[in-house]
Amino acid sequence: MPATQSNQATNPPILRLDRVSIKFGGLTAVNAVDFTVGEGELCGLIGPNGAGKTTVFNLMTGVYQPTSGTVRFNGRPLAGLRVNEIVECGIARTFQNIRLFGSLSVFDNVRVACNLHRGTAAFHALIRLGAFRRDEAAITKRAEELLDIFNLRRFRDAPAKSLPYGEQRRLEIVRCLATKPRLLLLDEPAAGMNPTEKVDLIRLIQQVQKQFGLSILLVEHSMKVVMGVCSRIAVLDYGVKIAEGNPAQIQSDPKVIEAYLGEDHGTSLSHH
Amino acid sequence: MSEFLQQLLNGLSLGAIYALIALGYTMVYGVLRFINFAHSDVFMVGAFLGYYLGKFIPENTVGGGLLILLGAMLGCAVLGMTIERLAYRPLRGGATLNVLITAIGVSLLLEYSGQVFFGATPRTFPAVFPSANFTLGGLVISSNQVVVIVVTALLMVGLQFIVYRTKIGTAMRAVSLNPKAAQLVGVNNDIVISFTFGLGSALAGAGGILYALNYPSIDPLMGVMPGLKAFVAAVLGGIGNIPGAALGGLLLGTVETFVNGSQWSTYKDAIAFAILIIILLFRPAGLLGKASVEKV
Amino acid sequence: MPRPHFYLLLALLAAYGLSASTGWLEAHLDGWAYYQDVLIGIGINIILAVSLNLVNGYTGQFSLGHAGFMSVGAYLAAAVSLFLGPRLLGEEGGTAFQQGLMFLAALTAGGLGAALAGVAVGIPSLRLKGDYLALVTLGFGEIIRVIFQNVEVLGGALGLNGIPAYTSLFWVLAVGAVTVFTVTSLVHSTYGRGFLATHDDEIASEAVGLNTTRYKIVAFVIGAFFAGAAGGLYGHFKMTITPTGFDFTKSIEIVVMVILGGMGNTLGVILAAILLTLLPEVLRPIAEYRMIIYSLLLIVLMIVRPQGLFNFRFGKAKS
Repeated sequence: MPATQSNQATNPPILRLDRVSIKFGGLTAVNAVDFTVGEGELCGLIGPNGAGKTTVFNLMTGVYQPTSGTVRFNGRPLAGLRVNEIVECGIARTFQNIRLFGSLSVFDNVRVACNLHRGTAAFHALIRLGAFRRDEAAITKRAEELLDIFNLRRFRDAPAKSLPYGEQRRLEIVRCLATKPRLLLLDEPAAGMNPTEKVDLIRLIQQVQKQFGLSILLVEHSMKVVMGVCSRIAVLDYGVKIAEGNPAQIQSDPKVIEAYLGEDHGTSLSHH
Repeated sequence: MSEFLQQLLNGLSLGAIYALIALGYTMVYGVLRFINFAHSDVFMVGAFLGYYLGKFIPENTVGGGLLILLGAMLGCAVLGMTIERLAYRPLRGGATLNVLITAIGVSLLLEYSGQVFFGATPRTFPAVFPSANFTLGGLVISSNQVVVIVVTALLMVGLQFIVYRTKIGTAMRAVSLNPKAAQLVGVNNDIVISFTFGLGSALAGAGGILYALNYPSIDPLMGVMPGLKAFVAAVLGGIGNIPGAALGGLLLGTVETFVNGSQWSTYKDAIAFAILIIILLFRPAGLLGKASVEKV
Repeated sequence: MPRPHFYLLLALLAAYGLSASTGWLEAHLDGWAYYQDVLIGIGINIILAVSLNLVNGYTGQFSLGHAGFMSVGAYLAAAVSLFLGPRLLGEEGGTAFQQGLMFLAALTAGGLGAALAGVAVGIPSLRLKGDYLALVTLGFGEIIRVIFQNVEVLGGALGLNGIPAYTSLFWVLAVGAVTVFTVTSLVHSTYGRGFLATHDDEIASEAVGLNTTRYKIVAFVIGAFFAGAAGGLYGHFKMTITPTGFDFTKSIEIVVMVILGGMGNTLGVILAAILLTLLPEVLRPIAEYRMIIYSLLLIVLMIVRPQGLFNFRFGKAKS
């Protein structure tokens, strides 16, 4: 199959980057990147350390504003929107270094994310009529259901920071789901996991995608995870997209191999 | 015109003192990213040290005055290093809020101990340097103002020398840029931080003496307002930036003196805070500082 | 937290009961007037500490200017009583009920005025963290003090006196109950979890759709409102207010209560407020050394038990 045909998303794009760049002083961290995620797709974004993958995430979620180019979600440009406004549009993300609300319980971590779709206004907390109580009960139910899916219900009241590492990463994903996203951005969700955990995570991501009808973009270092689960992969190196295609194409692309095995980078494609 | 120049001179004289205190704030912030709330009270202790030393040293002599100045600087240096060792070092590495609260505690401790041991009533600072007034083309310059300007200038030159020409000064700059990397190249952070506190406190002590020369009424709470204003000066110039602290101090002293001479004189204390808020809103890095980006 | 309305009602009933029995207590308990004064002082401090706890403890905005909000409330409430009072109540001063209504209006005005000041302070402070925020709020407190020192119609540097003594145990307990109710109900709701999240990690909070800016301002405004109410109660208790009475020493006293109680722990903060109001009374013989002990306490506490004296939930999650 010619390389060009798999470069395009087969479904209508839910997220679209058009020649997006960002400069920090003299450094161009992301350079004219074109990229789309199709509706319902599970895509991957890979590249050596420092390639700019997290920066691309930050550009998609409003943490940074691009110095040029546009990011569009469902056709709508995200320029100038605040981070929490973009979450309202339907994009949720996890962080490379886990950012849970350490002092809150596991349950509250999910519950606080349910604020986005709360049925009552804030002051109802003071009046506490029936509407408020029903709303809180619905939120509790939803949060507990989400925790159930990820097998975290048993940790419900424990402080989030007391969870084992793998569970913390899963909790971060649960918290994202509580915001009812359409697109999920996962920043190295398998980092620090052993092979068994990684297999479980792959299964979980696929299950979540099906169950919630999500589009997912994955940044990962682990080739096993990415090749096993993504239908389309883009490769970034020094802020530039150097390749895009299905896993087989990426694995055999000479530019990609050079980026990973070149003298500046020490990682190998086959060793994860 | 001469009125303007007179006010300018007064402002620079006041600003020099603010600059000396501001330098202490800025240096400590540079190496520890921490605002030493108790710094203003070290300034106060300096003034009192000078007062008590003045009981043993004859007044109105230049030599005596210098001796008192040095004595106060030394005493304050020791005080500053002791505070760092006992109250701040145990909390290093912990939540920054906790150290801030400790600093407030130390500040209160110094102030209230001062009130108990020195008494709350103000005392008159002796005329440790010979006093005279000079006239220069319509301007009246008091000898004390000359002392302030000369001493401040000398101290700042000395500081520049230490920070840029000595090993310990280079170590200070290294620690303020990247404490972990500094440790990796063999810098003993504990010693550098101690030294920084000692240096900053010595400058505050000098500031205390110079302030008391020009405003001879001293009391245990005298450090509060000048301290806050010096902090604003440090932020104005760019916190962590040594020339910035000097610039900020001079600017603030001048603005305050002009306000004091105008119809808004009763608001002169509020001016410093208004400047603080404006700076933090529009240019938080200060006049000479550089903005930093938080990594997500 | 089950049925907070129930507790509120209970507290209000207790307040009413206590105040109704003051007559009996005065007759049968020696020195009741003194104890009543102490209790009122405790109540006012509880309101101040619990309201500050919302800003400092729960939302993590280290504000050192709470006394500034208190002063706005005190002055505004006093102004209502002194300037509007005679006009609305007439020559004789009106019935007790009318006076009570007047006082309620004064307190509300004080609270709302302080809340407005809270917006004015909160907005510029949004981008600031830790040390900077502390010092800017302190600066705001000082600016407010200097402004009041220069407003002649409010007494200038000498302040206001002759404020009618409307504050009673009932009022203090009632306002205290409303304060505690508001803060705890808010914080324990799903919406209120946002305050804690904002404190924990702003970036993560934004990433789950929370408007951290709004949370911070809301915290400031609500905290300021109750500080203003406390100020109004204070003014009508001491009958005299001066600008210097609300300087940052006062702010620091309130902050110490919040820290001692364990930031973000309402019950602990209430206990700390009680302790720190009683302590000066108990230490009256050595009043000189009170503040020295105070400051040593702070220093030692931060080294030994930074989570606060009354925080018993160390290790368990906040719920």
